[in-house]
Amino acid sequence: MTDPAAAFTAPARLGGSRAASRLQRAPSLLTPLALAIGAGFAFPAAFVVWRTIRLEASFSETIGEIPGPLWRTVQLAVLVSASTACLGTLLAWVTTRTDLPLRSMWRIVLVLPLVLPSFVGATAFIAGLAPGGVIHDGLDLIGIDAPRRFRGLGASWFVLTAFTYPYVMLPVSGRLANLRASHEESARMLGCTQRQAFLRVTLPELRPAILGGSLLVFLYTLSEFGAVQLLGYDTLTRVIFATRLSDRALSFASATVLLALAVAVVVAERRLRGRSTPDRRAAAAGTRRPTELGWRKVPATLTCATVAAIGIAVPVISLGVWARRGLAANRVSFGDLVDPAITTATVATITALVTVIVVLPVALATTRRPGLGPNVAAGFVVGGFAIPGLVIALSLAVLALNVSAFGFLYQTLPLLIIAYVVHFGSQTLTSAEQAVRAVPDAVREQSQLLEPNALRRAVRVDLPIMRPGLLAGGGLVMLATLKELPATLLLAPNDFSTLATEVWSGLEEGFYAAAGLASLTLIAVSGALTWLLVLRRMDSAA
Amino acid sequence: MKRSPSTLIVAGLAAFSFVAAACGSDDAEPQSSDAAPADTDTLPTGSSADSGEGDAMSESITIYSGRNEELVQPILDRFEAETGIDVDVKYDDAANLALLIDEEASAGRVEADVFLSQSPGTMGFLDTNGRLAQLPETTLDLVDVNVRDADGRWIGITGRQRVLVYNTDLVDPADLPTSVFDLIDERWQGQIGVAGGNGSFQDFVTSMRATQGEDMTAEWLSDLAALDPVPYPKNSAIVAAVGRGEVEVGLVNHYYNFLALEEDPNQTSANHVFEGDDPGAVLLVTAAAIVDGSERTAEAALLIDFLLSDDSQRSFSDDEYEYPLASGVEPSGGLPALDFTDVGSIDFNELQGGLEATRELIADAGLES
Repeated sequence: MTDPAAAFTAPARLGGSRAASRLQRAPSLLTPLALAIGAGFAFPAAFVVWRTIRLEASFSETIGEIPGPLWRTVQLAVLVSASTACLGTLLAWVTTRTDLPLRSMWRIVLVLPLVLPSFVGATAFIAGLAPGGVIHDGLDLIGIDAPRRFRGLGASWFVLTAFTYPYVMLPVSGRLANLRASHEESARMLGCTQRQAFLRVTLPELRPAILGGSLLVFLYTLSEFGAVQLLGYDTLTRVIFATRLSDRALSFASATVLLALAVAVVVAERRLRGRSTPDRRAAAAGTRRPTELGWRKVPATLTCATVAAIGIAVPVISLGVWARRGLAANRVSFGDLVDPAITTATVATITALVTVIVVLPVALATTRRPGLGPNVAAGFVVGGFAIPGLVIALSLAVLALNVSAFGFLYQTLPLLIIAYVVHFGSQTLTSAEQAVRAVPDAVREQSQLLEPNALRRAVRVDLPIMRPGLLAGGGLVMLATLKELPATLLLAPNDFSTLATEVWSGLEEGFYAAAGLASLTLIAVSGALTWLLVLRRMDSAA
Repeated sequence: MKRSPSTLIVAGLAAFSFVAAACGSDDAEPQSSDAAPADTDTLPTGSSADSGEGDAMSESITIYSGRNEELVQPILDRFEAETGIDVDVKYDDAANLALLIDEEASAGRVEADVFLSQSPGTMGFLDTNGRLAQLPETTLDLVDVNVRDADGRWIGITGRQRVLVYNTDLVDPADLPTSVFDLIDERWQGQIGVAGGNGSFQDFVTSMRATQGEDMTAEWLSDLAALDPVPYPKNSAIVAAVGRGEVEVGLVNHYYNFLALEEDPNQTSANHVFEGDDPGAVLLVTAAAIVDGSERTAEAALLIDFLLSDDSQRSFSDDEYEYPLASGVEPSGGLPALDFTDVGSIDFNELQGGLEATRELIADAGLES
């Protein structure tokens, strides 16, 4: 409270809480609904714990095998979430709040690293380091020898940061898009430098979005398997996978440990965020003047270009080299990829829509009826991201196989979409909560007086204001679904293929040309969908 | 040149038989191991698909394939065309499919009729849990007795030999050891790529346990670990790493380097085969089985026969450089001839623990990535 920024926030906060007290309480069904949704999301976790108990996992064996990988997992997750928090926030600010040249282009390009499955990104990145590879030859030009070995904690941190910072950048961009600029301008007029204004006024407003995004990165790193394996970094997921046939008790016990870690982090993040929710005064209105970068346009552009080069250009060039070899030798063609591309786009779009609908009540509950119940529900939604996709898929398969009411879902698309929703709901939740908070209390209050019908009010007042946040959340789910692999392979109907399964099929046995072509198609489809369905609409709403 | 597989050394058999021993039955011992149909003139398969056509056949069949789509699908398409039976396929990692088959069976809802596996270890897992059905004698007779389960519940389709892949720029072929035991040398300190968590490495270790004994295997593993080998998740990653010089040599299956050179003829990597009956040159089998509880066993057997037909075996060998296992089919021209040796005297029943014991042995040596 001694923060100078309090000078600006205190009056607003007072006004906000007065308005809140006059607001009609949100429908009382919201909390039970959120809890019911949360229970659905909790199912895979319950399955893991139940299996661990039933298989009578040996405590001593688990203790013997797990500490090393567990510690390495924690190290990597902490490092990657810290670096993505900084990088993602910086890039969000530069691309939404400044006069950076070509910033509409950067906003699309800088999201693209998210579209590559991490095992593809890592394979392509490593290939770039080989003699003749793009990084190797690029470094050679400036007289640097590419490292002969690119492995371990540092390499994994570098590659995961390069591929996951959009998890922070997207929600922070969404928050910046509907954050009123007047506070920052007032701070400037009162003598704060631009940097002071950002640190004291804007950054606290962004804190929930940054924390939420970093949490996603943390959980992603926990469940990550393919990339860290290729980079020679041994984590907890390796134990889960390596023992899934030979020692199932140990495999599930490791998954339980992973789960416990995820729960601890989710709870910690909720607490951190909870103490700093300055949201009731937020407003979407107000015109903004972009910050003039001046000479800093050069370093800003260079930063964007470097990040894009590492996260998307290097992998794309490696993939392109593979694909060209195959196309030249007539071993591969685009024709086989048309059907998987259409399937992939359709399923990902449906999944994004369903996820937003399912998660929105939880976001409404946590922001408008805060309390233990909604927080528990939100914790379950978020935790789903930490469970490896294979485990989620297996839990749903076991459910459909053994509970006759769900039997008809086995090996159908609806069950696969349920798996996606459970796995990726967390990615929508953070953005959806931001979206709900973006509706100012004053606006809600006035609309209640003018429009008694709650549904019509939601459609005409709340949803338009929430739109950028919901689109950002849906967009993240869409991108995640486009590249999802383990659940797709296990749960999809027979003879069902997506671009990600095509990529996997090629890469698994070393058919690099086929993998390269399918990966490039995946990037193109993801980029097009992100622009068409998300970014374009976010802009028009903002 | 006529290949005469009088007897074969097959790690798959070892891996599988450990776990099969737990089930303990010797009911379907089809013939003694030294009575291999080595020089049979008749080609046993190929036309069996035609004889199977008829009204009694079901219209479709479901396959869970742990083998790659690029390779298997063309053969399955030919099966569809020749028999009129629709083939539904689920492709995934063999271990994941084995888990799914096990869950389906324990829920009493068998979906897959045929399981195709890249590694015998997954077959062992399923057979231990009683998930595999007996194969018909006529199918079993298509291959040598040493490349199929002694109890007749799975059958080898193709073979993959264990080799040492090396970087031709960094390694003088004269330095390469003749035995996998001689790989334990300071010369290779920090230069060996190993996929300790990978199924084929585990099957190779299982076979070493069978042929060399537990103690010798454990010693070799810990000596190897002392050389600080570089861990990789799978064979193709090792071949790529050797190709770019990240490590000088790697323990892999033979055909990955053939495929890598097909993708990039300029890659500087080559295979080195350990001599004679060295455990480092063991042949691992890819296998097929009928899932217990399948209601379409006739169609399933027809499909497995088809995979062992001359044409299919040719595809496996010509397209992915694998060794054909059906009696009388020659390996592809690009493959070096294999000289298989005798393992008929191994008593698998004395070895216990199968896959889990192998994994623990590897982990205890400090190897797993």
